[in-house]
Amino acid sequence: MSLQRRFVRTVLGFGALTFVTLLLAPLVGPTPIDIRRVFDFSIPFADNTDAQIFFIARLPRTLAGATVGALFAAAGVVFQGLLRNALATPFTLGVSTGAALGAVLAISFNWSIAVLGISAVPVAAFAGSLAAVAIVYALAQARHRGLSTTVLLLAGVTMNAFFSAMILFVQYFASFADVYRTLRWLMGDLDISSYQPLVASVPAIAIAFAVFAWLARPLNLLSLGPESADSRGLDVTRAQRAAFLSASLATGAAVTIGGPIGFIGIIIPHLVRLLVGPDHRLVLPAAALFGAAFLVACDVVARTIFAPVELPVGIITAMIGGPFFLWLLIRRR
Amino acid sequence: MLSAAGVWFGYVEEKPVLRGVTISVPRGGLVGILGPNGSGKTTLLRLLAGTRHPQRGVVTLDGAPLSGLSRGALARRMAVVPQETQLAFDYTVAEVAMMGRYAHLGPFEIEGPSDIAVVDETLASTGTLHLKDRPFATLSGGEKQRVVIATALAQVFRVSSSLRLKAEATPPDPTGATHPDPCSFRLQPEDAAGYLLLDEPTASLDLGYQLEVAALLKRLHEERGVAIVISTHDLALAGSLCERVLLIRDGEVVAEGTADEALTPANVRKVYGVDVDIVRHASGRRVLVPTGRSEPGSA
Amino acid sequence: MATYKKALVPFLAAALLCLVAATRAVSTFPNSEIPKSPPSRIISLVPAVTEMLYAIGAGPRVVAVSSYDTYPPEVKKLPTVGALLDPNVERILSLKPDLVVVYGSQDDLKQQLSKAGVGIFDYRHAGLPDVTATIRALGDRTGDAARARDLASAIERGLDAIRARVKDRPRPRTLLVFGRERLSLRGIYASGGIGFLDDMLAVAGGTNVFADMKLQAVQASTEQILASRPEVILETRAANSAFPAGERQAELSVWKALASVPAVRNGRLHFLFDDRIVIPGPRIVEGTTAMARALHPEVFQ
Repeated sequence: MSLQRRFVRTVLGFGALTFVTLLLAPLVGPTPIDIRRVFDFSIPFADNTDAQIFFIARLPRTLAGATVGALFAAAGVVFQGLLRNALATPFTLGVSTGAALGAVLAISFNWSIAVLGISAVPVAAFAGSLAAVAIVYALAQARHRGLSTTVLLLAGVTMNAFFSAMILFVQYFASFADVYRTLRWLMGDLDISSYQPLVASVPAIAIAFAVFAWLARPLNLLSLGPESADSRGLDVTRAQRAAFLSASLATGAAVTIGGPIGFIGIIIPHLVRLLVGPDHRLVLPAAALFGAAFLVACDVVARTIFAPVELPVGIITAMIGGPFFLWLLIRRR
Repeated sequence: MLSAAGVWFGYVEEKPVLRGVTISVPRGGLVGILGPNGSGKTTLLRLLAGTRHPQRGVVTLDGAPLSGLSRGALARRMAVVPQETQLAFDYTVAEVAMMGRYAHLGPFEIEGPSDIAVVDETLASTGTLHLKDRPFATLSGGEKQRVVIATALAQVFRVSSSLRLKAEATPPDPTGATHPDPCSFRLQPEDAAGYLLLDEPTASLDLGYQLEVAALLKRLHEERGVAIVISTHDLALAGSLCERVLLIRDGEVVAEGTADEALTPANVRKVYGVDVDIVRHASGRRVLVPTGRSEPGSA
Repeated sequence: MATYKKALVPFLAAALLCLVAATRAVSTFPNSEIPKSPPSRIISLVPAVTEMLYAIGAGPRVVAVSSYDTYPPEVKKLPTVGALLDPNVERILSLKPDLVVVYGSQDDLKQQLSKAGVGIFDYRHAGLPDVTATIRALGDRTGDAARARDLASAIERGLDAIRARVKDRPRPRTLLVFGRERLSLRGIYASGGIGFLDDMLAVAGGTNVFADMKLQAVQASTEQILASRPEVILETRAANSAFPAGERQAELSVWKALASVPAVRNGRLHFLFDDRIVIPGPRIVEGTTAMARALHPEVFQ
């Protein structure tokens, strides 16, 4: 089958799955709502609890889940292609720990700035992720002409450890309630309760996905190893830079919206490769769509399984992801 | 003509790996670069491929310095076959070979029927078309090397307009049951300008696969006029395969010429520090028989 | 494949071991063995109990407190010895206490103290009745039993008085928030249907909207808040976490996004930055009164 037809089939297949999930998810929740009342615009919005639940609570939450899921899954694909390692995740290179440090600082020092209608914690998380990317990138650049993925990996892992230590340091002086809030932030939360975080992240997401689209074929070539990729006509350093920066941007945006929700970036790329093969031109769109559907579904489970109490969505993804990861380890000979 | 003139190169500038090497590979030529480990063979190959640039001297392709050519333009003219290829993900043979077409496509262009025809043809010419849908990782070492050679061929394969039209008029059978007759894709003379640069193509292979790959290279060279440069420390391979050989030691050329001219006992002793006798085999081929070890560099 | 399965066995065994070790750690410490003589050097790691110690007259014998203690003002002059998560055992022992008030979860500390022969008073946050029960037990332990009983009864009477004042008032459905992100409705923590805050709300004449969630702290989602339709929203924090005066209006207006919530529509949002509410100590009557005043302003002019 030609690639065009496989591409169309992949996008239509996963697109349909995502579409149905997005359509159904806002209808499900711990509170029963009357869907006719939701769209009855003769009732003033301020008086219409059903509409408020739908438009203020569930719809932004569903869209946040879709966005974050798509970003993590696609960023996972790109990081795995860049590092040529199928076990890499969006969190391997320090971006999310940098974001976590930002969030922890904002929580512990009770910062009360708001940028573009976004409160201090997400703003600090995004700043933290950018700082982490800059540091890791500078380190990988300094030791090598071009970009060394080995140094990138070492720098990323080191910065992960360092930022974690910083988090513990800040935590040590934080009040008990702040420590608890931090812990909760680390479990992920998609209840964004307004559209502002999504709107504000549109530029970052647009840039990341545009670069991903260009990266699909270079990532295939990188799979051969940098030297072979170079002699096939790929500017390897440029591709690696683009991959690192765009995937980091995507990860930073996702962590900013929903917190560091684990395992999406590794479960989804693997499942997708099993279904569509390793060609990144199919894997990237499929992973983004499937990741969106998967996280939205996980969030539906998180908010209904123990209703009225809600579970953090990160717990659901971890419950699925942990065993999946083990299975993956056993399966890889 | 691919040539390097007096090139110097060092990964660390104070420690040059190549010191004023000159080599030229004519169109359709078959040249071997010979030398012991660490003599600079692989580095010279990298300079010829344009992945590294000389600090002194110049590498030119048909008179144009490589540093002035775009990566894509270079990739369409020559392809490198590394010693070993390990993939990060489970691509099929066809997908690997298709990566050879990268430099022929625009940023968002998808391979067309002509690219598929080229890949089928190069796989057929390396005897790997039947492996097309197999995962690359499951192949034997020899099969892998042949597939990578097919990829390199697909990379330098320029599709003439007549061929493009023909391939698009008759798309290959999607079942793959029949493949286009290789004869219908004979290279046109102007397409024969491709260069394959192979780094120790047989070093990691068993004897049987070594012969297989050597035979394939010879056939590609003779039947299709592909220019081939190989780096090797295998005197027998170079002696039987190459039209011309370049002997290097410590980054300097020791001898250059046809195999008969260059592979003399004196030169071999100089480069490898090994005494050899030259024997004529019943097949008419020269065979170098090592007889003992001497100080390298002594005449 | 087979080798990996084999390799998993020790891993699983180790995991199992960790599990066993974790369950074993829940050990039992007798709360207060009958003392031979009242303690003369007391250290309190629990601000609520520090307040109780001073209130029952044991204050002069307190030699050190936790790093979170601020009340009564006398404690600010005392040395601090860490807190819930970071008790400094060395400093505690160097002060030669004969009674240390610890949290129930501080198992390591308790083990170390009992090895050193230091008496322990074990404390856990629980409901409102536990506050007076703790005061009485504390009095028995420190030899101030009579004053402790008087204090406990006074508190119980105070709470009863509040109950009586709001008895015939409608009980508004109340959302009791004790934490959220600044300038946003994310990460909202509210009181569930157990714990002293929930009990105080009941005494003060409110109905907790999350009464059916048997948790002390509920992370309330936007949907839960919209669906529970609170008539009053009380935001309570420790005094040192109060919003600066200039930001109170901005913090109030973040709630406007939830326009269908009656409390938002009717402007029944209150900030109560009051240690007397969030510390379940002897000032709990005043704290509950503050809550009741916000819920029933007409009664508490």
